Amino acid sequence: MRLELGEIQISDVKLSDCSKVENGVLYVNTEELRALLLEDEDIASVEFDVVHPGESVRVMPVKDVIEPRVKVEGPGGVFPGMISKVTTVGSGRTHVLRGCAVVTTGKIVGFQEGIIDMTGPGAEYTPFSKLNNLVQIVEPKEGLKQHQHEHAVRMAGLKTATYLGELARSLTPDEVKVYETSGVAQGKDLYPDLPRVGYVLMLQSQGLLHDTYVYGVDMKQSLPTILNPTELMDGAILSGNCVSACDKNTSYHHLNNPVVADLLEQHGKTINFVGVIITNENVYLADKERSSDWSTKLATFLNLDGALVSQEGFGNPDTDLIMNCKKLEAAGIKTVIITDEYAGQDGASQSLADADAAADAVVTGGNANMVIHLPKLDKVIGHPEAANVIAGGHEGSLNADGSIDAELQVITGATNEMGFNRLSAR
Amino acid sequence: MVKEIERAGIPVVHICTVTPISLTVGANRIVPAIAIPHPLGNPALTHEEEFQIRYNMVTKALKALETPVDDQTVFDS
Repeated sequence: MRLELGEIQISDVKLSDCSKVENGVLYVNTEELRALLLEDEDIASVEFDVVHPGESVRVMPVKDVIEPRVKVEGPGGVFPGMISKVTTVGSGRTHVLRGCAVVTTGKIVGFQEGIIDMTGPGAEYTPFSKLNNLVQIVEPKEGLKQHQHEHAVRMAGLKTATYLGELARSLTPDEVKVYETSGVAQGKDLYPDLPRVGYVLMLQSQGLLHDTYVYGVDMKQSLPTILNPTELMDGAILSGNCVSACDKNTSYHHLNNPVVADLLEQHGKTINFVGVIITNENVYLADKERSSDWSTKLATFLNLDGALVSQEGFGNPDTDLIMNCKKLEAAGIKTVIITDEYAGQDGASQSLADADAAADAVVTGGNANMVIHLPKLDKVIGHPEAANVIAGGHEGSLNADGSIDAELQVITGATNEMGFNRLSAR
Repeated sequence: MVKEIERAGIPVVHICTVTPISLTVGANRIVPAIAIPHPLGNPALTHEEEFQIRYNMVTKALKALETPVDDQTVFDS
């Protein structure tokens, strides 16, 4: 499969009365966009704001972050099964607005939403402080059930990212990157001497607002399956979940999966990147056993020599992670796991809820229990009182002066388990 | 908590869904539960059916409590 990714650099985002991209500036017609989003009868109001790197602004509680993209050549459209039809994506050409993102906020849906600070110590922990973000504050109709609320906000984010992506359709990209993958047999012919490496991508699927969608399918209802790496770049996998903010994979992470990027970079040089196995993290033990059996079975079908496994969330998914690792290693496939740690505020406790000697190669995204102080910023977009209820916060986390004392968990993307962020441990 | 109570000399049955974690942390008598969000029930069933599930599970746990064990044991039959 061959995908061209045409990147258009966005240096600023401005609210306007006409939507366009001009000289690297993204102008957003807020009235037109608001009317589009208010077509959803579950939404009472939508407001927009723009935040830039370095500004004294805090956005919270953040639900998802999405990068605008548009399919300009080849089959299907971006966000298949959610916005576009379910046609298989990942080939042809896609344009992406780089340097910006859509950030959704508004009344809290579930307690596991996060904070993005655009300056100060909080900004150091989230990759999204480096982007020009269109923030949309989506407020639900009164009496809406929690899952309807989550659905409304999720779809509003995707609709906006699609609307903005469409502006890039006829633009000339600043840079075009080409990603080419080999078929299973073809890869073996092309690179007979290179180790065959696969990526086992674990997707949060615990239900109760902890879900991930693949071509529109709720992943907890699916058995593990195989994707071509380039499908992710067109939005085949989308976040619908409220796991802890620090280690949830936002839709932005799925679109820009760093494990996929690095493996593709090394494909044909040091390794033969065979493909992506996606699996779930369900709440029944039988599902955990079945899915880890299947991910290992698929890895064996692909004749892998090595596998990278990335986790999402923490706690009982640690068991899915360890099962995947144990079974892959037992099948003779050398395995590295990417996770993060809940080692207590002093970092002295056991990092994962489950463990095994087979997990002898571990990359960590950092300790989510670490306590941080976020100073008062000039402006807060959204609902600052959510600091007292989101995971990592506690009653009293929001101080009278507007500052916040909480665990690192509260920061969106801080300990990302795809290794998207900079934190780790020795 | 399981380990601390046992340390005080009182045998414990751990009813839990993710039995591998229970094994990792060192419980000796483990009874598998239904699912993580609803360990002793199932919202898909009627109240009467749920009661029966719960009754059976607690009965099994009480039997496990009286069963001598030499090693960590999952009572999954």
